[in-house]
Amino acid sequence: MISLRDVHKRFRGRMAVEGLTLEVPRGEVFGLLGHNGAGKSTTIGMMLGQVWPTSGEVKLCGHDVTAHRARALRKVGAIFEAPAFYDYLSGWRNLQILSHYSAPTSDARISEVIEWVGLRGREHSNVKTYSHGMRARLAIAQALLPEPELLILDEPGSGLDPEGIAEMRQTIIRLHREIGLTILLSSHLLSEVEHLCSRIAVLNRGRKVFDGRIAEARLASDRVLLRTSDFNTAVELLRVRGIISESKEGQYIVLTDGRSIADATRALVECGVAVDGIWREEQTLEDFYLNLVKSKAA
Amino acid sequence: MFFSQLKNELWKLAGKKRTYIGFGVFVAAQVAMLIMFKRSRWESDFERLLGGNGYLASEYISALTVGIIMIIPQLSLLLPLYVTLIGGDLVAKEAEDGTLRMILSRPISRMRLLAVKWLAGAIFTTALVIMLGIIAVAFARVVFPWKGLFVFFDQPGIRTFSLFQADEGLRLYALSQIFVTVNAVTMLSLALMFSCFNMKPATATILALSCLFASTVVEHIPFFERYQNWFITHHLASWIWIFQKPTPWPQIMQSEVILAAIIATAFLVGAIVFQMRDIKS
Repeated sequence: MISLRDVHKRFRGRMAVEGLTLEVPRGEVFGLLGHNGAGKSTTIGMMLGQVWPTSGEVKLCGHDVTAHRARALRKVGAIFEAPAFYDYLSGWRNLQILSHYSAPTSDARISEVIEWVGLRGREHSNVKTYSHGMRARLAIAQALLPEPELLILDEPGSGLDPEGIAEMRQTIIRLHREIGLTILLSSHLLSEVEHLCSRIAVLNRGRKVFDGRIAEARLASDRVLLRTSDFNTAVELLRVRGIISESKEGQYIVLTDGRSIADATRALVECGVAVDGIWREEQTLEDFYLNLVKSKAA
Repeated sequence: MFFSQLKNELWKLAGKKRTYIGFGVFVAAQVAMLIMFKRSRWESDFERLLGGNGYLASEYISALTVGIIMIIPQLSLLLPLYVTLIGGDLVAKEAEDGTLRMILSRPISRMRLLAVKWLAGAIFTTALVIMLGIIAVAFARVVFPWKGLFVFFDQPGIRTFSLFQADEGLRLYALSQIFVTVNAVTMLSLALMFSCFNMKPATATILALSCLFASTVVEHIPFFERYQNWFITHHLASWIWIFQKPTPWPQIMQSEVILAAIIATAFLVGAIVFQMRDIKS
């Protein structure tokens, strides 16, 4: 659904995105993570044909965005951080205006989308009277108007209160389950990404430093929890055999490169040390992200 | 689709309060000028000017004459201001507000978007000129009788002293508004061109106005009199030549072609810049 191949973007001598390759298959909820200035918004801008890549290829729904922007964006909806509308016009008029940049849209379709996002009754009020939450719903409505197959969300929870964030999360889940949309979600809210996405990519200073399933990220910890009757003896045995490099907090071991949990278990059993349990520590996405960024910075 | 998009651009323009500032100021300025005409010694000075040239002044102190006297300063000072204000907003304000990013996440080409915006701006500008032309004569008619038209204009390169019967005067007055519309669209196109660069809407307006003012200033420096054809404001004044006897049509048409070329160039430069720009939040 989304395909980026060796994409570079340079702004006045500063490399904003460097050699980015990304594949988002149909039906996936994909998270794009990174600190401010990591290149997330630039990447989304290139996907939508708002920012021209310096080199590389950006394809949406099988069409090259640079060469065939109109075809590539025909079935794409987008929501940005702090969605902007014509505040002096009604929600309905805003939807009419924005929808006509895609394709002729019937009043019935606008009405259907308003119903879906729960703005019924307020659609004819001026947008300047809308709360943050209502603006977010209007943003979803405008993105749904062209009956998209792909939805690109750039920091959709930004500026929302906890209730608004929860509502946005539920809406994204509904969009995926009920309409079957492929969703690309860029967010600072790691817990949101963890709840919603099946796969993530992490950008750091314009470069992709991780691309994989959330489950892989959780298991990417180097710490292994070891439950045994004599932890110190077990650690000594494993260290002598070169299976671990260190131990931590009286219950964790760190495997040396190339060694697996199976190697450690086998060694302990062979030496007669009873193993009650041994498994790789699952870390939160936040721990994973912070460790990753820290290690890249180092 | 194009007409739906054009209609929506007009909705956007019509929904903004600042769109109406120009209309409001024109009405206020004309009311103020009419009061000045009645309260000042304008009529006696005017009678002396015409009488000194052997004409019967009472036949030309009319709604048409007062109307044209009122619109000349407004076309020189107020029209550029309000037209460039709208033109400067067309792209830059949307970029500043973030709505341009919303629009450009949709499958519309930048060229088409700019064409729709330019056309909406040109329609607004035409409405402004028509309104200005109609209310100038209509307001003057409330106070002055319907008689002949006297046009007196004296600037370097443009000297007009002409008298017309009411019917002929009205016909020429209406015709002149077509050329005033071309002037206004030229100013709008200049502001739109600057609006396509990465700058604030006010900066685009100020740059367009600066071009016009700089042209006016340099044009009036005696040394540059021989280069008048190079100045945009020289051609913007061509609408007044309609009232010369005989009408210098070749000169007028030359200016109109030059203005049309300026409009096309401004649009093209704006379109190239807009097409190449990265649109970011």
